[in-house]
Amino acid sequence: MSYGLGHHQQKLKNMWSPIQPTPTCVVILFSIHFVLKAEKLLKKNGIGHDVIPVPREISSDCGMAVEFPCLESEKVLELLAAAGLRLAGLYMRVGKDSFQPISAGHLAVNAVN
Amino acid sequence: MSTKPAPIYADNAATSFPKPREVIDAVSAVLGGMSLSPGRSAHRYSLECSRVIFDTREALADFFNCPDSSRIAFTCNVTEALNVGIFGLLGEKLHPGDHVITTALEHNSVMRPLRYLEKTADISISILPVSGDGEVMVSELPRLIRDNTRLIVVNHVSNVTGAVADIEAIGRAKGDAVFLVDAAQSAGVFPIDVARMNIDMLAFTGHKSLLGPTGSGGFYLRPGLGLRPLKMGGTGSNSEAEIQPDFMPDCYEAGTPNTLGIAGLGAGVGFVTRTGLAAIRAHEQRLCRLFLDGLEQMKGITVYGPAGGRERAAVISLKVKGKSESAVAQSLDRDFHIMVRAGLHCAPGAHRTMGTFAEGTVRFSFGYFNTEADVAACLTALAIISKN
Repeated sequence: MSYGLGHHQQKLKNMWSPIQPTPTCVVILFSIHFVLKAEKLLKKNGIGHDVIPVPREISSDCGMAVEFPCLESEKVLELLAAAGLRLAGLYMRVGKDSFQPISAGHLAVNAVN
Repeated sequence: MSTKPAPIYADNAATSFPKPREVIDAVSAVLGGMSLSPGRSAHRYSLECSRVIFDTREALADFFNCPDSSRIAFTCNVTEALNVGIFGLLGEKLHPGDHVITTALEHNSVMRPLRYLEKTADISISILPVSGDGEVMVSELPRLIRDNTRLIVVNHVSNVTGAVADIEAIGRAKGDAVFLVDAAQSAGVFPIDVARMNIDMLAFTGHKSLLGPTGSGGFYLRPGLGLRPLKMGGTGSNSEAEIQPDFMPDCYEAGTPNTLGIAGLGAGVGFVTRTGLAAIRAHEQRLCRLFLDGLEQMKGITVYGPAGGRERAAVISLKVKGKSESAVAQSLDRDFHIMVRAGLHCAPGAHRTMGTFAEGTVRFSFGYFNTEADVAACLTALAIISKN
């Protein structure tokens, strides 16, 4: 499985500069089990992250999501795909409470099982 | 002044006792330390509960060699897991007119659902026979399999005789049928590898040899195999949808789970893993051998189940000549402080094959925490009871 995020990655690399805060991405998964599985994978691979409530701006779902530096997104998506975790959504934080969906066209958003 | 003997617990096939200290500590830490409500809210207590459940799920997946822990769902015991498997297949893989194979050693938690489907859903049942010393005759399986055989349900270890079924051989011979293994007595003592044994669904309980609390259990379900959930409701996921999620584990886990039980089960699996199945099995089999050897020297005792040096669990059924099962069990408890179980052990089919229906047997079942001194005390008590 691959999520084809190459062009976003490139854009982010071009954007990044040491004086700007590192942009972060938020991945939405299908349930808390998959959030904790993602957390375990990121921890194991030394990728900094936060488990956060799903932002209301993204979804009314009452679950949790994983936020990580967008610079790591390629690696994160690779890890999730290798573990068979499907994404319910992927966003970039563009403001304190503002998120932009990314690569939606490439994501498997259908139910798993 | 007479000193009261310490009680001896020899009813581990019903529920294991005592529990490892870490199981008690894990339950206590959760009960005293967090809200018990996982996956429902986004606060730290809820997240901590979710982690407890996630960790237990991952530990069980490793334990049964299942690469994807989301294929493990929790239930309140093995009975519920078996019911989810059997009733959940109806309308999915199993349809009216279809055929199911099971064994003569099944517990009522398998036979009652199957007999219900036989009566109400036009399912036919064939019974895999059992040899004279209580072993399931796997060689008969190919003869019983039909074109419409959709399900094979097998009790891995008999809760009456301790006989071990060769589930690996059944997994090889099962054909297209769904292979459901009842691991109530075996999980935590005998190695179970769902991949190598070609198991489609494994039902287990937490409160026996996995050393967890009652009210904990679950099942493994092979990827690609779907069941109709027996209960629907809140899962903490997909809350905007009024339809039950169709992905594991959420689809089978509606309602707030038994967080306490699952915490204890996780600690129990941790204890078993650290101690090692081989060490646990060796200890239990040493006790079993000691008990069987002692019984052999005794007059008036009939022992049922696998003879000689056959592989078996430390579950021993016997009869004392001239005594009723209930009287023997009562005397063991009252006069010797030894706790056993008498009767049919919810498996009337097993007793029919041994010729001990309907009165049943007296069952001794030893666990990892029993000692050789316990076995010696049981033998002494039986010698006295059988002479009086």
